[in-house]
Amino acid sequence: MITWNMRHKSGEKDYFERFARWKMIIIFLVLALMLTITFAVTIGPKQIPPLDAWRIIVKNIPFLGNLVGDGSSGVEYSVNQSIVLQIRLPRIIAATIVGVALAVAGVVLQGLLRNPMADPYVIGISSGAALGASIVIGLGIGFSFLGIDAIQLMAFIGGLITVFVVYNIARTGPKVPMLTVLLAGIAITSFLSAIISFIMITLGESLHALVFWLFGSFTLSSWDNVAVAMPVIIIGLIVIVIFARQLNIMLLGDDQAQQLGVDIEKLKKIMLIVASLITAAAVSISGIIGFIGLIIPHIARILVGPDHRILVPSSALAGAIILVLCDTAARTIMEPVELPVGVFTAFFGVPFFLYLLRKKKSLIM
Amino acid sequence: MVKLNINSVDCFYGSVKVLESIVFSVEGGEFVGILGPNGSGKTTLLKTIGRILKPRVGTILLDDIDVYIMRAMEVAKNIAVVPQDTSVAFDFTALDLVLMGRNPHIGFFETETEKDLAISKKSMELTNIWNLADRKVSELSGGEKQRVIIARALAQEPKLLLLDEPTSHLDINYQIEMMDLLKELCKKKGLIILAVFHDFNLAARYCDSAILLSKGRVAAIGSLDAVLNKENIQKIFHVNAIVKQHPLTNSLYVVPLSTSKPGTMRPKALTVHVVCGGGTGVSLIRTLSEHNYRLTTGVLNVLDSDYDVVCTLGIPVVSEAPFSAITEEAYKANLNKIDNAKAVVLSNTPFGYGNLKNLEGVKASLEKGITTIVVDETPIQERDFTGGKARALYMELKDKGAIFVKNCDQVLSILKTLESKTGK
Repeated sequence: MITWNMRHKSGEKDYFERFARWKMIIIFLVLALMLTITFAVTIGPKQIPPLDAWRIIVKNIPFLGNLVGDGSSGVEYSVNQSIVLQIRLPRIIAATIVGVALAVAGVVLQGLLRNPMADPYVIGISSGAALGASIVIGLGIGFSFLGIDAIQLMAFIGGLITVFVVYNIARTGPKVPMLTVLLAGIAITSFLSAIISFIMITLGESLHALVFWLFGSFTLSSWDNVAVAMPVIIIGLIVIVIFARQLNIMLLGDDQAQQLGVDIEKLKKIMLIVASLITAAAVSISGIIGFIGLIIPHIARILVGPDHRILVPSSALAGAIILVLCDTAARTIMEPVELPVGVFTAFFGVPFFLYLLRKKKSLIM
Repeated sequence: MVKLNINSVDCFYGSVKVLESIVFSVEGGEFVGILGPNGSGKTTLLKTIGRILKPRVGTILLDDIDVYIMRAMEVAKNIAVVPQDTSVAFDFTALDLVLMGRNPHIGFFETETEKDLAISKKSMELTNIWNLADRKVSELSGGEKQRVIIARALAQEPKLLLLDEPTSHLDINYQIEMMDLLKELCKKKGLIILAVFHDFNLAARYCDSAILLSKGRVAAIGSLDAVLNKENIQKIFHVNAIVKQHPLTNSLYVVPLSTSKPGTMRPKALTVHVVCGGGTGVSLIRTLSEHNYRLTTGVLNVLDSDYDVVCTLGIPVVSEAPFSAITEEAYKANLNKIDNAKAVVLSNTPFGYGNLKNLEGVKASLEKGITTIVVDETPIQERDFTGGKARALYMELKDKGAIFVKNCDQVLSILKTLESKTGK
């Protein structure tokens, strides 16, 4: 709107210029994410100089590692190295991929459901995952399967089973009306919440662990968690980016999308599966973190527009940045007490969102 | 050349049958209008052909291939749809939306190319909206939006174009422009166009043929003369209408007159004889027939516009050959009708030597004691073309007690009073 007159005259040129603009946005967000990660690595009970932090990180990347020399050595360096590699980095990477997953799943579901209130949890993943986790915590099971701990595994499976049930309840013949998916998701969520509440009452000692999980937290994140969830989320993200153009057309409604050549039922199915997988993967690492999946897509839409080809990558990066910042706040603000990260996503995310909402009301949907 | 065959199609919404035994076929270069009252299945028919609502019975064949076994992409390359409702929720620009029309031509892993942009630009120029390319669709007016959607359909480069009331939101100038464009594309590119219309005149002007639907069935199909005639409009829409060939555009035009719900005639309605001519009786006759008086008229020349109206409404009329003076025979027949009437109404008719006898007829009715009402809007001097003869007769009417009024409403109130008197 600022450059209205200029753009008005050159629609054609402008159209291809937008790809260049999108590239700039993505480069900018990637740099911002790097900066955020650097910041997050350095702060904590022990401050670590940014350069040291990066040297430690790069040193441990194959091939690249050979290019940097040992800047310093000695006790100080090796202590820093284990803090960065064993404590902070896995946690930060976990927050990064969870942020990516929730934001992208939010974009996909808001688009598919054509509903601005949708988030990754609306179709029941969170409640299913929570039920899985509460069963594990409640029964005190402590096994691990292929290096995946029981809570993560059961949360993942619980989330997926729930979506599967919701999907099949909503399905009528070959068609899946998205409004029915939404309603079935809400109904199942309420039902499972009732069961979870019941389990919580009977829990006793381990209640604290479950509550912490339900609020969302990266306290227990390890490289093992990350290694399991990361491939799922990266592949999911790629699939969603590939379908971005079709997701745009889906916004016109089922009938019009179909008439423009989109195989709507197939697209819905693939997108629901992918969004469910990445959400379940995210929830299995971190528990249920609210607001990222609802608000990041809106913020991104206000800033970069409704085209999924830019909306998906920029939501992913913005989700990662915000969640890493929130987690850093969660672990440092009341040191040594750690707060649930969900407290911060809501505390910072909502006011910022409301600010944008008031400023650019018309742009939401 | 592209060919569309609809083979005895039945469609259901749930258990409600909405289309029944629809059969027709259309070839490239034909512009077909789909007409019918609300709820007759027009939009459903488009949906069925556009692969949205699968028929339970029958097939839709495009170039001998069933559209319901084609892939969505394949269908979208061949069939484009302009829906009635063109709301777009998100803030895409007009160009974005038109480019979406290129989707069926773009490979799965590809993005738009210069060629897609060029085609989109071309279709936006054709529909006169290239200047809106960067505007957000949500900020456009209804008519602009509709043209964006039509441009999108053109960008699909379809062989079959389905339009649901394509010009409902357009101003009259754009209506003509858009229809001219569609007609041209239809002929030049050998496109099939199927369009739902509510406006008979627009349909009549642009369509090569038409399908009239009623309660989910084909009530009439074929040339416009065959479909859009007085009888069909009466039967399907319950409207009395004049259907004529327009002298300038040479296409049919339809003027709806009144709704004709049967069974509303009052049993004791007065018989009223109307004397008119030269189009002065149209509104009077329409008003009286809407109020269900039993009407007779005379003497009217064939080709007189009043004559057309009374024929359309099925009112008994004493007629005379075109452009001829009233003969003694017709005059007598007219007097006969007057005798049977409880009241005679004379419209604001101009008089020449040809129809002076009508004035004499009115005088005769007055002499017989029949209530005679004269609508006197224009001074008689201005419509007397007989060198004063008509004026003299007119004055005589006034002297002998004819009721002079200024408009139709006054006629109605006099007739009402009269009716209540005779009713007792």
